[in-house]
Amino acid sequence: MSIKKSDIEHLCNLSKLNLDEEEKSLFLNQMKSILEMIQELEEVDTGDIVPMAHPLQMSQRLREDEITESNERNKYQKNTDSAEDGFYKVPKVID
Amino acid sequence: MKRHTVKELQNMLADQSISSEEIHQIYLNRIKSMNDSINAFISIESDEISLSSEQKNSEIKGIPYALKDIFCSEGDKTTCGSKMLANFVSPYDATVVRNLREKGTVILGKTNMDEFAMGSSNETSFYGNVLNPWDEERTPGGSSGGSAAAVAAGMAPIALGTDTGGSIRQPAALTGITGLKPTYGRCSRFGMIAFASSLDQAGILSISAEDAAIFLEHMAGYDQKDSTSSIEEVPKYTEFLNNDLTGKVVGLPREFFDGSLDSKYQTLVTESIHEYEKMGVQFKDISLPNIKYSVPTYYVVAPAECSSNLARYDGVRFGHRSSEGTDLDSFYKQTRKEGFGPEVKRRIITGTYVLSAGYYDAYYLKAQKVRQLINQDFLNAFEEVDVIMGPTTQQSAFKLGDKLDDPVSMYMNDIYTISSNLSGVPAISHPIGFVDNLPFGLQVIAPHFMEHDLLNIVHQYQMSTDWHLQTPNLCREFD
Amino acid sequence: MSWETVIGLEIHVQLNTNSKIFSGASTSYGSEQNTNTSLVDLGYPGVLPVLNKDAVMMAIKFGLAIDAEISRRSIFARKNYFYPDLPKGYQISQYELPIVQGGSLEIKLNDGTKKVIGITRAHLEEDAGKSIHDKFNNETAIDLNRAGTPLLEIVSEPDIRSAEEASSYMQQIHQLVRYLKISDGNMQEGSFRCDANVSVRPSGQAEFGTRAEVKNINSFRFVENAINYEVERQIERLENGNEIIQETRLYDPDKDETRPMRSKEEANDYRYFPDPDLLPLEIDQETIDKIKNLLPELFEEKVIRYTEDLKIKPNDAEEIAKNMQIAEYFEATLDHFDNDPQLVTNWILSEVIGVLNRENIEINAFQIEPTQLASLLSRIEDNTISSKIAKNLFNQLLTSDETVDQMIKQQGLEQITDEGSINEYVAEVLNEFSDQKDQYLAGKEQVLGFLVGQVMKRTQGKANPKMVNELIINQIKK
Repeated sequence: MSIKKSDIEHLCNLSKLNLDEEEKSLFLNQMKSILEMIQELEEVDTGDIVPMAHPLQMSQRLREDEITESNERNKYQKNTDSAEDGFYKVPKVID
Repeated sequence: MKRHTVKELQNMLADQSISSEEIHQIYLNRIKSMNDSINAFISIESDEISLSSEQKNSEIKGIPYALKDIFCSEGDKTTCGSKMLANFVSPYDATVVRNLREKGTVILGKTNMDEFAMGSSNETSFYGNVLNPWDEERTPGGSSGGSAAAVAAGMAPIALGTDTGGSIRQPAALTGITGLKPTYGRCSRFGMIAFASSLDQAGILSISAEDAAIFLEHMAGYDQKDSTSSIEEVPKYTEFLNNDLTGKVVGLPREFFDGSLDSKYQTLVTESIHEYEKMGVQFKDISLPNIKYSVPTYYVVAPAECSSNLARYDGVRFGHRSSEGTDLDSFYKQTRKEGFGPEVKRRIITGTYVLSAGYYDAYYLKAQKVRQLINQDFLNAFEEVDVIMGPTTQQSAFKLGDKLDDPVSMYMNDIYTISSNLSGVPAISHPIGFVDNLPFGLQVIAPHFMEHDLLNIVHQYQMSTDWHLQTPNLCREFD
Repeated sequence: MSWETVIGLEIHVQLNTNSKIFSGASTSYGSEQNTNTSLVDLGYPGVLPVLNKDAVMMAIKFGLAIDAEISRRSIFARKNYFYPDLPKGYQISQYELPIVQGGSLEIKLNDGTKKVIGITRAHLEEDAGKSIHDKFNNETAIDLNRAGTPLLEIVSEPDIRSAEEASSYMQQIHQLVRYLKISDGNMQEGSFRCDANVSVRPSGQAEFGTRAEVKNINSFRFVENAINYEVERQIERLENGNEIIQETRLYDPDKDETRPMRSKEEANDYRYFPDPDLLPLEIDQETIDKIKNLLPELFEEKVIRYTEDLKIKPNDAEEIAKNMQIAEYFEATLDHFDNDPQLVTNWILSEVIGVLNRENIEINAFQIEPTQLASLLSRIEDNTISSKIAKNLFNQLLTSDETVDQMIKQQGLEQITDEGSINEYVAEVLNEFSDQKDQYLAGKEQVLGFLVGQVMKRTQGKANPKMVNELIINQIKK
């Protein structure tokens, strides 16, 4: 299960990150040692252990179906300078 | 006096020897004079005092505090140590900030931190590393390094931090202060910018356990905006501080005392144990057999959650937006390339890898199972003992740049602290002495929701010792 | 070679909650762009989802209605992918443990045959926002009002074998969610839409062929068209020796064709994992029982009750029950007038639906209250007015606030049923038209109609026609 440069490129694509060539080789080496460390887990016998997704033994609480939010568009869009006419904008998408 | 505890400030306010405005100004002046050398604050909030005066009376009204820049505070720049959020102004308050605001406390400023809390040395911050007030060539630890340095240097009487794998306890240990990570779910995570949602917990960096008790009471509690916050009632922590420790049983896990700790640190730990013995505490050897898998488990779970949590930074609604990229894909990739630093990118890629098709079972699911075993180790141990003790870190503050290029060795910094995040149990670090003029810390871990026990134990220690009252040389006298 | 079509449908139903599935923002349709967006819907740093109770209850309701198992414990997971209408970079959905598992629905085809379609699962998830491509020149506009609207995704087994079956299944799910009142089912507004997984295989082959997923289908007609197009395309490719590529295709109703979606080209690896911000959703038996008791009577049950208990003609019963709101109107009318259910049926199917079609409105916008229709029909039944006058009043009711009884009184429309006064009119008419009277006596019975007409004319239509008939004959024969 040795990780390759092409794997790094695939992961960059999935996680939408550009890396320089230099970064790619640096990360490749670092990922190798990280994965080596992680592979220690293989030696643990986890046969019928229930995976622990969460530290709390609680169940989901439910919210009443009530409208509690009002229109704050202007306030929230202050954090972007690319909103126009109330819309957010991205480069043209072709379906 | 070089520093004041929250308790002392409360007393000064109560006998009207000082006003809250004066306190606020003194700390702002201290920050202004020291921050250039320490770099503990990313932004300073000089006008927050006006907000607090409208609030109702409380025992902490007028007490100023430093806030890790991972917490959203309304109207304030909230960067999370990242270029990605360099211009982000939060339109809302985190629940813990709101809770404290309603009690009349005052934010002094937002403290420096590792980018998105990913780091153990504060060197991944976009805003430059924080320097350890005890030795400016050394790291204050991370990721809450700014909060730790601010309290250690007397730039704030108390600070909030977050702890995902040791990010409160490790910097507290490295700067000679007290750092409490409460039980997962004790404090609301709403408004605390997520790194690893099942591990993140807000906590306190303070001079004393007593101060932590005072603040935690007001900060903690159920929040309907956070499904993972606990409905468990918040006790009056201060009422437990003076309980007698006679008969308390403390577990010493052999995995924490396996000989790997340098003898100069081991000596401090042994001395602190003797100190506790004098207070009637009994010690017992225990085992946490799966604890050695904490670091690999953590470095699967935390990056996995982080890779998903950080997907929202796409340059569209807030945050850094690249001017390059003509199509959507290159726009996303360029925005994220420019906005994130190397450690964050490395973790996003690691997390993406462990969740991706074909690896999910081998890595992520496996890690969640080992996590269960580690949790079980704690539950078993707490059948026998009240709390567990051990060193907080393997060494005192290391030199800046020492571990930057070796992530695995950097990750090993958290070897003693990570397991309590995986299990969700509360833990506290407190100073127990110095090696070569650098502070060292002892960690105490308790069962879920037993923070009052931790605070009681450490308070008793701090009543009979003064390690927590030592101040670094650069710390100025109060005016 | 003959080919068999295999289809599975994924239907997305917007649940009609007031607020979003994980935030307190409004779900109302048609608001100005990005005005129904809370910090949670925008995926702001630090915010967290909290689950809407009603969305959960609606999912349970649906599960019970299709005889499915309600998971006592279900898990929300994150489906990770980047798209501008998905603010967090992941969609909160359910993956390994959905809230509803293993149900079925019996569908009825045009030729009257019935078929059971298995429903693998139904799970809760959040809807995405909308991308608008023609708003700006070089950029796509994003409106996140829809982001976070609760969706129930209903996934069928690959049990469907034709476009007609697919359409029928989709229609019945549509009818069901409207019956359950968990969705407005408005297809123009996107509240009810479906993706079709279509493949073909040589008849008799056990393995499935490679499938294509056709997205963006929002009408019953389009589902048939899209599937027919896709089946033809696939067969043609296979017969020409080409392979089918597993891909996502978009149905374009204007061109009536499917084409590959460019944005979905790269094989997606969604990296599902349990959402650490949400805890396991646990549902106890008590809750399930409570919802079960509140389940409304569904279509099949209604038709049986209408035909067996109310003695309505089977075709009429189905017509009424087909649309739950019409059925409710019908039943509300019966609450006030239950003497003659078939009469109510006739009036609704002809007069009421006539108005709805003419004015192109739904029954909830219909002007006449069930109580007024009931009182109109009871005035016919108790002979206060004739059917002819009733129709006239019905038209007046469309624009008037007055009640039926007020109109009858004010316009003096009560039917004349008093024998004495009708006899007076009859005597007058027989006096005037003695020729016709003689013709009748001579055996030309058709002339009776003329005489009745004359009496009705003198009474302005208010005399009871049946009585007029009888009294004329009586007087002539006297």
